[in-house]
Amino acid sequence: MSVRPHGGGNNTTAGAPVELADVSKSFGGVQVLKPLRLALVPGEMLALLGPSGCGKTTTLRLIAGFEAPDTGSIRVAGRDVTGLPPNKRGLGMVFQNYSLFPHMTVGENVAFGLRMRRTGRAEKARRVREMLATVRLDGYEDRLIHQLSGGQQQRIALARALATSPSVLLLDEPLGALDKNLRERMQFELRDIQRRLGITSILVTHDQEEALTMSDRVAVMAHGEVLQVGRPTEVYDRPLTRFVSEFLGTANIFAAVVTGANGPNRWSVALDAQPHAAGTVESPAALAPGQRVTLAVRPERLSLGPPTDGTVRATVRDVVFRGTYFAYELTASGQPQPVFAYTQLRQPVAADAAVGLSWEPGGAVILQDTA
Amino acid sequence: MKRPSLPVALLFGYMALFLLFIMLPIAVVVVVSFSSSSYIVFPMPGLSWRWYRHIVEYRPFMTSLATSIELALASATLGALLSVPAALALARSRHKLAGLLANLLLAPISVPAIVLGFALLYFLSALSLGLSFTSLLIAHTVAAIPYVVRTVLATYRAVPSDLEESASILGASRGQILLHVTLPLVRPGVFAGAMFAVLTSLDNLPLSYFFGSATTNTLPVVMLSYMENQFDPSIAAISTVQMLIALATLLLLDRVYGIERLTAV
Amino acid sequence: MRRVRPYRLARPSWCVPVIAYLLVFFVIPLIANLLRSRPVDAAIGGGPFFYYVKLLTDPYYAGVLLETTKVALITTFVCLLVGYPVAYFMVRFAGRWNALIVFCVVAPLLTSIIMRTFGWRVLLARRGVLNAWLLDWGLITRPFELADQPIAVYIGLVHVLVPFMVLSINAVLQGIDVQLEDSARVLGAGRLRTFWHVTLPLSVDGIATGCILVFVLTNGSFLTMLLLGGGRITTLSLLIYQQFSTTQDVGFAAAMGNVLMLVALLGFLLQFRLLRRRGVKP
Repeated sequence: MSVRPHGGGNNTTAGAPVELADVSKSFGGVQVLKPLRLALVPGEMLALLGPSGCGKTTTLRLIAGFEAPDTGSIRVAGRDVTGLPPNKRGLGMVFQNYSLFPHMTVGENVAFGLRMRRTGRAEKARRVREMLATVRLDGYEDRLIHQLSGGQQQRIALARALATSPSVLLLDEPLGALDKNLRERMQFELRDIQRRLGITSILVTHDQEEALTMSDRVAVMAHGEVLQVGRPTEVYDRPLTRFVSEFLGTANIFAAVVTGANGPNRWSVALDAQPHAAGTVESPAALAPGQRVTLAVRPERLSLGPPTDGTVRATVRDVVFRGTYFAYELTASGQPQPVFAYTQLRQPVAADAAVGLSWEPGGAVILQDTA
Repeated sequence: MKRPSLPVALLFGYMALFLLFIMLPIAVVVVVSFSSSSYIVFPMPGLSWRWYRHIVEYRPFMTSLATSIELALASATLGALLSVPAALALARSRHKLAGLLANLLLAPISVPAIVLGFALLYFLSALSLGLSFTSLLIAHTVAAIPYVVRTVLATYRAVPSDLEESASILGASRGQILLHVTLPLVRPGVFAGAMFAVLTSLDNLPLSYFFGSATTNTLPVVMLSYMENQFDPSIAAISTVQMLIALATLLLLDRVYGIERLTAV
Repeated sequence: MRRVRPYRLARPSWCVPVIAYLLVFFVIPLIANLLRSRPVDAAIGGGPFFYYVKLLTDPYYAGVLLETTKVALITTFVCLLVGYPVAYFMVRFAGRWNALIVFCVVAPLLTSIIMRTFGWRVLLARRGVLNAWLLDWGLITRPFELADQPIAVYIGLVHVLVPFMVLSINAVLQGIDVQLEDSARVLGAGRLRTFWHVTLPLSVDGIATGCILVFVLTNGSFLTMLLLGGGRITTLSLLIYQQFSTTQDVGFAAAMGNVLMLVALLGFLLQFRLLRRRGVKP
């Protein structure tokens, strides 16, 4: 499918830092990447998000030059690099396992790319100092790699990738090997450095939270294709498909039928499971009464109330305190899957209590695929 | 600490006996080398350096020792030059032939040296190389190849391929990657394999036996022919010297590679 | 699973020099050796397999073949009995002493076989160390000859080859999870029963590898027989050595070498299959 950067209304993307045109790749007869079009906006961080085997790593490795595409072409900073080896592409890359050279000091690692370019000694030293300052590891030049913690190694890997001033930074699950707390801190730090330097970056991750936190745009991938690309809030709040909706977080999926218009861009729907339960959805596209639709409602968009007319009747199965919110597991009659609702405050309802669920008009999304 | 159970205690006792069994014949030779007697008798009448003086004065020992060392170093070096590129290519290859080729490179280790030596003698004679240092070098290099291939394969497989990818994307050409990343990382394996090859070469009598001539005899061949005529402590002395050379090599290997990893190869 | 092919620095062509070298100086000479085992003198008659027939039917040579097999089997079995406990000890009990034990197991490989054989002669001879001690302690009244006896050959062979058995078994035992043994013990099995039912069956690959290695290496040994056997044990390797140094019967020596090769080749194939079963690439 075709993916254009948001805001870019035309097809001319000659100045894009990275541009893939119908790039595809098969391994052993299995197509791991279907023909893909993708263009980056200067200075942005784009996340390639998806489960393992979705083709995100292959995409990154194609851009890096570790694999050759079967079809299509790859341009970096306007230059066709499809046939070039990795060392001629002028990119920077951070690997999941840091992949720092164990036989070199921190300083030698950071200086490696400059050394390959035969940069002068003084300039090299200055640049290493500058990079170490950027990742807040000043004075670590002479340390050995195995003396560093995981987080420090990751920052050195970043410094090494940035030292040669690459046009694009590739991040392959860069925080995957870190523990949870450190990962969260590093997300902000990495994001901060990327913004400060204004370097166009591609982040490959299977962690939806990481993608939403760090990137300007998220491209959700599955089965070798990009399903949706957009700003984090956009893909989270307005997923196009059930897969995107469920991959980015918990979603309650309802089958429904359109009953009529209900204001500008608003339509009333009735749920298949409970025809008496009415809700409102927003849709930019016109809907016809009687049309069958699939709705996705995020748990935090559902509100619990008394089981009044028009609400979705449900029974509370379980309540779990999750630190920042309460998670309710409910069963709605006629709905085979459980329904989830998150609230900031504990609701005055007991287990097995009958409640009514409802949402604001903007809280439900119509998915493109059928239930 | 719990008192060890009977089977465990027996096992400890057994280990002591085993180490005695392994070390005793070697220790005895070292002791005998300092005997002052012309015969091997116990108890020894006294201690002396006379047999060390004797081996230094007995020219065939010294020239053949020099030949052996020269041969061991040359064959290990040539073996490494041939093997390292191939091991690097085979380690990451998924081609159907890769396994077969790796087996070919490891095969000389499994062929009885006496058969290989015999077969090579007639083959090289037909090439009019016959009894020469070149023939010895060719034969010992065949034997050195499997050792280097084995350790380099193991070492290189343990090197994550993303290190080379990192170097590549940082701007290093293939040659620069080889020079600055790959070779430094597999160096312990190359070194260990070459050391194995050196140690094996020093003691490879069956392979050297057939190529022996007055000018190109190796130490084991000379020792064997000496023993067929005399049975005196000079054999003990030259053996001890050879052991010290090998020991020094192993200690060097330990510093570079770590001795405990030898069992994992 | 990420479908990622590892980066390949080396090109397949890097294999060419070593393969060419081994073809010329390893494969071709061995093939030539096959051809050499045909009788050159047509007058002898008996066809191309003349020497092989002689090897199998002549009572003397058939006896040598039988003796070779017997020596290899006994040596292998004794090495297994002697070496297994050592390998087990190294993995489970040695702890910080492991480096020392590895050293002691590897150390004999640093000494020449001649040195070790010489050492056993010194220990076992009529006027040797063992007799001297036994006389001192009054255990015997007159010295007896242990060298130049079959027993000396077996002692010498086991001493030379047991490190290979230990290292082979050790490599496999290292891969066995200690937790398996621990859980067996938690389930109430004693140390011996745990060993018998858990450890031993799991180490069967190491045992097989070690046995094949020792068997093949015994077949290739002749120094120990030559220097410790006093002519009382003649094996195929020793015969090749003697044929070459005395009678110079090239065709016959080549034929015997080929038989030895065949045994080694079978051992190699068996070992390769074992390694494959363990999922280890050569």
